[in-house]
Amino acid sequence: MTDTPFFELESPYRGWYRLHRLSFGSGDPVTTLVAGIHGNEVNGTYALNLLAGMLRLQTPNGTVHLLPCVNLFGAEESRKRWPFDDRDLNEVFPGDAQGSPVERVAEAVMRASVGQLCIELQTGSALVHEVPHVRSPMDLALGEAAGLPLLWRRPAEQLDEGLLGAWRAAGRTALVVRGGRGGSLDVGDARTMARGLVRLLAHAGHLRDPEPAPPTIVSTTMLDYRCEVGGFFVPEVRPGETVVVGQLLGTLRSPIGGEGVESVTATAAGVVLAVRVYPVVHGRELVVRVAQSTT
Amino acid sequence: MPHLLEVLIEIELPTGDLVAVHRRRFSGGVGPHVVLVAGIRGDTPEGTRVLHAVGRHLESVADRLTGTIDLYPCLNPLAAHQGARNWPGLDVDLNRRFPGRADGHAPDRVAARFMADVAGVDQVIELRGAHPAFRLAPHARVGKDQLLAVERATTANVRALWTSAAPAGAGSLEEAIPSLIGLLGGVGNRLTDGVGLELADGLLNLMAVMGVIPEEDLPFHWAAVQRPVVVGDEQVADIRSMRGGLFIPAVAVWAEVDAGDVVGEVIEPISGEVREALVAPAAGRVLALREEPVIYPGNLVCRLVLG
Repeated sequence: MTDTPFFELESPYRGWYRLHRLSFGSGDPVTTLVAGIHGNEVNGTYALNLLAGMLRLQTPNGTVHLLPCVNLFGAEESRKRWPFDDRDLNEVFPGDAQGSPVERVAEAVMRASVGQLCIELQTGSALVHEVPHVRSPMDLALGEAAGLPLLWRRPAEQLDEGLLGAWRAAGRTALVVRGGRGGSLDVGDARTMARGLVRLLAHAGHLRDPEPAPPTIVSTTMLDYRCEVGGFFVPEVRPGETVVVGQLLGTLRSPIGGEGVESVTATAAGVVLAVRVYPVVHGRELVVRVAQSTT
Repeated sequence: MPHLLEVLIEIELPTGDLVAVHRRRFSGGVGPHVVLVAGIRGDTPEGTRVLHAVGRHLESVADRLTGTIDLYPCLNPLAAHQGARNWPGLDVDLNRRFPGRADGHAPDRVAARFMADVAGVDQVIELRGAHPAFRLAPHARVGKDQLLAVERATTANVRALWTSAAPAGAGSLEEAIPSLIGLLGGVGNRLTDGVGLELADGLLNLMAVMGVIPEEDLPFHWAAVQRPVVVGDEQVADIRSMRGGLFIPAVAVWAEVDAGDVVGEVIEPISGEVREALVAPAAGRVLALREEPVIYPGNLVCRLVLG
C-alpha cells in the first residue's frame, strides 16, 4: 500500500490540509472509492478503512485507490461542510485548481479519482437513519453486484450533481453506496457497506471469491412520508424493515405533553429506506421514506 | 391611505409557535407595481434597515403615491433571529430554494408563496447586503440581457452596476426572476454607516423614475444621485490569495488603484512574516474587500471593477 498526500493546502494557525489517497496493487483495472466529502459522514470513512484492512491482506488485481476522508477538517468538528468558510464541498464539483479552497479540494478529488469505476460513500443526514443501499442510474446494473439490502435506481438527471455528477460528466461509471446517519458511527451499517464494496470490487475484477451476495431489493419508486405540521415524531419502524399497506410508520406528538397529533401510515407496501431519528420535526419535513420494490 | 401590514405566510414550528413573514403594502394609484425584498438570508440586516428607511418616506407621501410598493422586510425571520445565514434547524439556504414548493418544508413554502405573491409585478428589487467576510461598495447586479432592469438600476444611486451573464447560484431568487435588480453593499451581519442611506435614497429615486412616487417628494435633489460605473463580467477582476495566513488590506473599499498597486499582504499569523503581496492586475476601483482576515490559498480577498 502507498499513502500519497495527493494534495496540500496551507492552513493558517495549524498544519497543512492533506488529501490522502491510499493505493493498493498496480496496473489495470483501476477503481477509486471516495468517502467523507461531508465531514460528519463517518460511516463511509469507517467502511473504507475496513476495506483498507482487507486489501492489506489480499493484494487486489489491478489498482484500488481509497480516499477515506476528504473533508478532514469538517470531520474534526463533526461538521458537514468545510469549517473555515462553511462551504459544501459536494456543491463545487468538478472544482477549480485556481479557485476558492473548497474548489481546489474538489479539483484535487477529481484528479485523484482515476479509473473507469468510481464509488462514493455517503450517509444520511445527521437527522435521518438510512439502510445501507446503492444509488445508481437506471441504466446501470452494476449496483446489484453490491448485494446490499436495497438498490435505488434513479433517472440519470437526478444524479448529475455533486461528485457523482462530475464523475458521470467525465465519462466514468459512478455510483453511491450509502447508509447510516451523519454524525455517528453505525458500526453494523458500515460493516454491511464494506462487505458490499468487497463484492463490487470482485465484480470489477479486483478480488476473487467474494462471498455470495444476498438478494437485493431493486426500487425505482420512493414514497416520502411527511407530517402536515411540526411536532415530536416517534417512529414505529426501522431502516430495512418491510412494511405493508396500512402499517403504522410513526406518530407525531405534541412536544409538550405528548398528545397524539398525527399518525403516519403506509399507503403502499415496501422497504423502509430512511427514518427520521431526530424527533423534533417541522411541518412537511420527511419522516419516513419507503422504497417500493420493482423486483 | 395608510399602508397595510399583512401576513404573507405563517410557519408553524414544532413547538407550536408561529413565525410570520410579513408584507407592507403602500398603494396609491394604478401605476407600476414594485416589490422590495430583504432578509432572504438571516445575516443581512442592512437590507431590512433600508426597507424601513424607505417605508418611513413612503408613509410621509402615502397620499401622493401613483403605484403600488410592496416591502418584504425579512423573508427569513427565523435565521435573522439568530443572525444566521441559513434557515435554522433545517440548515437550508433560502436563496437556493427558489422558486420553492408549495407542498415542501418551510423554506420551500416561503419561497413558493413569495413567488406567487410577486407574479406579474413590474419590478422586483432584492436588498442582498453582503457576506459577513466582506465589505462591499454599494452596487447593483442585474442580468446583462435584462435591458429594462439595467436601465432602471442605473438610477439606484449605486457606485457600480455589474451586468452579469449568469445568476449568483442555482435556486437563487436572481435565477427565478431574471429581471431582478440585486442591491449589495456594506458588511454582512452589520449595519454600515452611509451604505444604508445610499441604498435607501437609490430606491426612492428608482421608484420616482418608474413613476411610483412623485419626483418632487424625494427627500433629496435628483442631481445628487450617483451614476454608476457599468461593467460586465469581463471588467470585474477577482484577486485571490496564493498562500494561507492573515490578510492585511492596504486599500479601502471603492479606492482607486493602478495596475501593480498592492491591495494587501498575506502574513504568517505567528511570526508576522510577509508571505505574499497581492497586487491589482489593472487600474480600477475596489468593489469588495475581505474583512475576515484568516484566509486559505484561493480565497477571494479583493474584487475590482476595472477601467
